[in-house]
Amino acid sequence: MTRYAFRRILQAVPLILGASVATWILIHVAPGDPIVALAGEDGNAEYYKRMRERFGLDEPLHEQLWIYLGDLAQGDLGFSFRQNRPATDVILGQIPATLLLVIPALALAVVIGVVLGAVAASHRGSMTDGLLRAVTLLGHSMPVFWLAQLLLLLFAVRFDWFPVQGRYDIRANHSGLRGVLDQAHHMVLPVTALAAVYLPPIMRVTRAAMAEALEAPYIVAARARGQSRRRALFRHALPNATLPVVTVIGSQLGFMIAGAVLVETVFAWPGMGRLLLGAMLNRDYALITATLLLVAIAVILVNLVTDLLYAALDPRVRHEP
Amino acid sequence: MSRDRRRLPRDLVTRVGIALSAVFVVVAAGADVIAPHDPFAFVAEPFEAPSGAHLFGTDDLGRDIFSGVVHGARTSLVVGLGVAIASLLIGVTIGATAGFFGGWVDDLLMRFTELVQVLPRFFLALTVVALWGPNLANLVAVLALTSWELTARVTRAGVLSVRERDYVRAATALGVSRLAALRRHVVPNAAAPAIALATLQVGSAILVEAGLSFLGLGDPDAISWGYLLDNAQAFVRRAWWMAVFPGVAIALAVLGVNLLGDGFVERTDGRSATQFTGGRR
Amino acid sequence: MRRTTRLARLTSLFLAAAMIASACASDDDAADPGNPQEITDPTPANGSADGEATDDGEAEPDQDPESDEAPEPEQESESSGGTLVIALADDPGHFNPGITTGFNVHAVTGSIFNGLVELDDNANPLPDLATSWEVNADSTVYAFTLAEDVRWHDGTRFTSGDVKFTFENVLLQFHSRTKSGLENILESITTPDDATVVFTFSQPYAALLQRLNSTEAPILPRHIYEGVDDVQTAPQNLTPVGTGPFVFESYDVDDQVTLVGNDDYFKDGLPLLDRVVFRIIPDANTQLLALEEGEVDYMWRVPGAEVERLSTSDAITLYQANSGPGGGFCVPSLSFNLDREVFADVRVRQAIAHAIDQQQLLDQAIFGQGRIATGPISSQMAFAYTDDVTRYPRDLDLANELLDEAGLAGDSRPTLTLLLFPNFVKYGEIIRENLAEAGIDVDLQPLERSAFLPRVFGERDFDMNVISYCNNTDPSIGVSRMYVSDNIGDIPFSNAAGYVNADIDDLFNQAASTADVAQRSELYRQIQQLLVDELPYWWLLETQFVIGASSLVEGLQPHSGHVAETAQFVDG
Repeated sequence: MTRYAFRRILQAVPLILGASVATWILIHVAPGDPIVALAGEDGNAEYYKRMRERFGLDEPLHEQLWIYLGDLAQGDLGFSFRQNRPATDVILGQIPATLLLVIPALALAVVIGVVLGAVAASHRGSMTDGLLRAVTLLGHSMPVFWLAQLLLLLFAVRFDWFPVQGRYDIRANHSGLRGVLDQAHHMVLPVTALAAVYLPPIMRVTRAAMAEALEAPYIVAARARGQSRRRALFRHALPNATLPVVTVIGSQLGFMIAGAVLVETVFAWPGMGRLLLGAMLNRDYALITATLLLVAIAVILVNLVTDLLYAALDPRVRHEP
Repeated sequence: MSRDRRRLPRDLVTRVGIALSAVFVVVAAGADVIAPHDPFAFVAEPFEAPSGAHLFGTDDLGRDIFSGVVHGARTSLVVGLGVAIASLLIGVTIGATAGFFGGWVDDLLMRFTELVQVLPRFFLALTVVALWGPNLANLVAVLALTSWELTARVTRAGVLSVRERDYVRAATALGVSRLAALRRHVVPNAAAPAIALATLQVGSAILVEAGLSFLGLGDPDAISWGYLLDNAQAFVRRAWWMAVFPGVAIALAVLGVNLLGDGFVERTDGRSATQFTGGRR
Repeated sequence: MRRTTRLARLTSLFLAAAMIASACASDDDAADPGNPQEITDPTPANGSADGEATDDGEAEPDQDPESDEAPEPEQESESSGGTLVIALADDPGHFNPGITTGFNVHAVTGSIFNGLVELDDNANPLPDLATSWEVNADSTVYAFTLAEDVRWHDGTRFTSGDVKFTFENVLLQFHSRTKSGLENILESITTPDDATVVFTFSQPYAALLQRLNSTEAPILPRHIYEGVDDVQTAPQNLTPVGTGPFVFESYDVDDQVTLVGNDDYFKDGLPLLDRVVFRIIPDANTQLLALEEGEVDYMWRVPGAEVERLSTSDAITLYQANSGPGGGFCVPSLSFNLDREVFADVRVRQAIAHAIDQQQLLDQAIFGQGRIATGPISSQMAFAYTDDVTRYPRDLDLANELLDEAGLAGDSRPTLTLLLFPNFVKYGEIIRENLAEAGIDVDLQPLERSAFLPRVFGERDFDMNVISYCNNTDPSIGVSRMYVSDNIGDIPFSNAAGYVNADIDDLFNQAASTADVAQRSELYRQIQQLLVDELPYWWLLETQFVIGASSLVEGLQPHSGHVAETAQFVDG
């Protein structure tokens, strides 16, 4: 096991390197000139030349790449010109807000998804099953920002139950417990929208795994002996779903973060989404590269963890090439 | 409890998927005939509510939204199919090559596949469209180039399982070149699940396009559902119909395609969808 | 039983985790005003270097930006109080208005800094840091008398040395409009005493007063920026110290900026508010929703589609302004790339002008919030504007005829590319349809700034484009740059058409170097008539800012950087 773990971890390193080079190159070969976004609009030629030197933009590309990789090795993700701070600081400042949406949404999606998956598995083939699958798939098929807008219009504007935007009420400026509740109040709609869209893959995978488990001979035998359905379901079938659920979360991670970006835009939630968009439109190279890289690293790490979990539980895996 | 036992026809869900997808394709193909107006032309007063003359109402420039939705179907279908087919071709080629030749070729290709897999697709698409320009060609290209890895894996797995089968060995023993054997025997068998996966790509591509348009990075020369939704955003309180109909269209089209894909997946492999959406191997 | 337990346990575990996560994060933020990187050291740095008398060193206790527990520090001022919440579309990034002309930075810094003068909504100068001024006969020497007893937010006394420093070390190096406008003609800035500053020009310059407000020439503190290596990346840019009505308190990136009232403001009795908070909300419709729900009190740029509905609302007051922080008097214009053969014949340009439906643009692109343009100068700049120019009303038949005459009959009608910023796509769509009716196909290409500017001004790779050229406060600032022959090239918002006409060059030069208003008026009249005949651009509309604010607030100055200087909540 240790050898396998070591091997997998080692394999992750060139991946990270590859991802960083790939994203860096992508951004730097794009047409367009960041100098205006960085240095302002009404300057003259000599002014821009000076600015280019300042920002290191006049070095040849491979030199810039080399510098970038060197910095990266020391944990320096570059300097965000627009924010006038190291990119790392900028991102770390914004991540908590996005996680505040993604993690509860994920939690909600897992809980509800697993329950619904279990129900569907135990009634597989029936109307309930079909209906559940279709409805959850519908949630997965609609654009998440459209759903967010509908929720906004309905519950925030029409019924006035929830606030329209932001993370907390500026004027009231609550702190302590009231502050927590205020934030929770602001979180409800965006988290609901995200959860609705994360739910279906989890449900489907749970259903599939549990349905498979329920067909196993020993279960059938146990049921024949009179064991209750529920017991069979939750004792024997549910654990079967654990790994696939973790796996699907890993493979959907990029998609989930993308959903968060869109929802943040609808609700003016101050997280990574807006940061990234602002960086895109202003050619803040360092920030764009850093964000892409970090998302890739997150995916790599989650995949790694999943693999190790699989290996721990299933000995066959450890010995595959 | 017993009433839940009423069995569903096994593939009702798939049939719904087929029906929705069929409507989607027909509308897209027949857009010129079905749409009463040029979606770009100003044909009426702005902000007319849905009526007999304009089934889905008009937008802020007086354009017919029904025509917009119909033409949007065509754009979405083209984007979806473009991505699906391109990623299918790339994925099958890489997967088959890796599986068939094995050894260091396999290793190298699989490492490359992993790299592509971890790159965040939506963000890459966002970056490319933001930096290179919001036209559909760029979008299809970047999505196709980042969506093939699952197809490659599945193809490779299929190839691996078929490669050692007797009839293939017989063929190579008889002198058929490995490449020809690959093409004629191995790929057709391994490709079925890959095709199933490809249908799922269609829906995903349509959603990405919609998302990018919503962020303001849509192609203004093409009427697409995402573009309609982005346009609708500013007027959502004044003209709810601008946002509702394109959104419903997206949801139904993607749902149809997803149900179809799901049905394919279950049929070609008999087993559950876990293998493809849940597993990584 | 077991199932419930398991499920219940799982659920409570997740919910607990979520609550904990949210509590941790919110605690961080509630305590954020104390974030170390944002605290200004209230004790000022060294004394001034050029020997002028200083009596700094007194940090006023209740101005200390560190005392910041969320609600108000004790204010014994006469302010009626309250917090004004302003919606801002984008994160400013920093707070140094001397190195940028960006809207978002100026929206915030307008309340923190002052200029020598303030401008009203028709660009007439009013006293700000300067209480009076004298201009000599040929407008080569401007002498300003500065207000007495003005203090920076950290207590240091404001002097003429700050003005000189700001111009020489910051504005003339980094502020694009000031630099390009003044660097060649400003001979010297002298400070005979602490309260006087004198600008001397090498040639008569009429428009100096229009360049001295808090947007064009905000005055920065010398004692803070002196000796700084690189003004553009200085950390001081994140903790601004100004002389203005509000003092910087805290900045949460991409979230909000908080300012508190300046008790020591040199204009007696002001400000009236306790705090001003800028909340960053990128989408205009979300801003509007927030305004209507009372979560926000003020927003620039109300979406045109909503104006009609809001004008009947009691809760919201709409204001119109010609300018805002960062610029104004804007005229979105269609540029013709005169390097391209297709535009060589003026009849082609005339045809396009006749084909475009300006009324439709006014109604559907900006929802009536503005006017149809007649020429290069905004009708709101009364002294310079004339409507006595050739007109090009919408006339498709005439357009088609002109195109035929120019040799572009039938199949040889061209396909033209039209480049624009994404926020002008509506204009593009309307123009595309209008020109289609004249047989011209338009290929619409929205590009964001960084891609647009090099292609248009660097490579000149376009047929037409739409750019909103803002006149700003004087034609010599914002208008001449589009037409003078020495301003063609890789400079953003320069002469996009590539228009060359020595007469025009001459006329603009004369108009900038005389101070006689009647004479300038006549010169600009000639310019407009000539340009409208030559048609290097087609001037589409004049746009206005439509500002929405809560009806509970009075005294706002929407056109000015000092938006909230005299604002207060009525109704307690």
